[in-house]
Amino acid sequence: MVLLRSVPPPSEGVRHEQAETTAVLDGKGLGAGTLYVAETRLSWFDGSGMGFSLEYPTISLHAISRDLSTYPQEHLYVMVNAKLNDENEAEMQENAHDQEDEDNSSEEDESEGITEIRFVPRDKAALESMFSAMCECQALHPDPDDEDSDGDFDGDEYNVEEAEAEHGQGDIPSFCTYEEGVSGLTAEGQATLQRLEGMLAQSVANTFHMAGVRTDEANGEFDDGMEVDAGSTMAGQFEDADVDH
Amino acid sequence: MEVSHSIRERTIAENSLVILLQGLQGEVTTVDLRDESTARGRVVNVDAFMNVRLEEVLYRDRRGRLSQLADLFITARNVRYVHIPDHVDIMETIQTQLTRIRRVRNFAGEKRGRKEYLKKKN
Repeated sequence: MVLLRSVPPPSEGVRHEQAETTAVLDGKGLGAGTLYVAETRLSWFDGSGMGFSLEYPTISLHAISRDLSTYPQEHLYVMVNAKLNDENEAEMQENAHDQEDEDNSSEEDESEGITEIRFVPRDKAALESMFSAMCECQALHPDPDDEDSDGDFDGDEYNVEEAEAEHGQGDIPSFCTYEEGVSGLTAEGQATLQRLEGMLAQSVANTFHMAGVRTDEANGEFDDGMEVDAGSTMAGQFEDADVDH
Repeated sequence: MEVSHSIRERTIAENSLVILLQGLQGEVTTVDLRDESTARGRVVNVDAFMNVRLEEVLYRDRRGRLSQLADLFITARNVRYVHIPDHVDIMETIQTQLTRIRRVRNFAGEKRGRKEYLKKKN
């Protein structure tokens, strides 16, 4: 069952509700009612309780149409991959190309296994919310027949490092490699890292000059006023005191 | 360009070519649908299940009738082809997306250790 006529609108998981919305089913207006965009199904009901529900897997696409030359009002367009027949039951029909019969098909889409529905809200500003809510709900119903299915990725999350440790790769430390860590930094972060490492290397190198010999290793890169030149002598600290202005 | 907030979707994307389609965000391209209609517009988002969202779309139904759609969401099942624009470097796009996913994984505040979904044994 794809179009469910006797199922009431859901009370839970309703992502969006839009009152004063006219439904037009394959060109046939059904009057004003309320659209319910719920996680389980899409429903529309008029004041008297008549309406219909759609299952998301049957919806091929949905869109916001603002093109007044196609239809005179802005609306939410929904294409359903099923046909509503006279008994008010929908039949799923594959739109396989062998069903196409260009010569005999009529102008209308009635010969095809699809249903076009337009939801015309009185409040046009609501169209985006209606559309977004449908996108979210549609994403909750991925195609179960998909071969490339993410069935491989079901199951519990597990901690990669713990698993690797258990499998005898415990000698590999669980912190990231240098390359991994650096690649995670922004360009600014990497520049900062280089500068800090340079300073570290610099201060290590300078320990060999503590005997008082001043080196010429003034590195312009570190000229931020904070650099301590460990190679300078005590007298050098007070250099500026000897200057006559 | 956003990376999905869902671990499951990131894992799926990392392990399939849908990651290439996700890298097309912002590009204008054509999607051929299963029923032989086409939609040409700017890619807003492609999720890990390959649902495609386009904006400012010129939609051509299977009979060739044209209409404009402000926003269009195509269910994955109904996507036949997604055209890759000529100027898009495929390898570079994939690499960029992978880097983004890994960066999110390392810095998204997830608990210590990388979490993955256990793959089923074949």
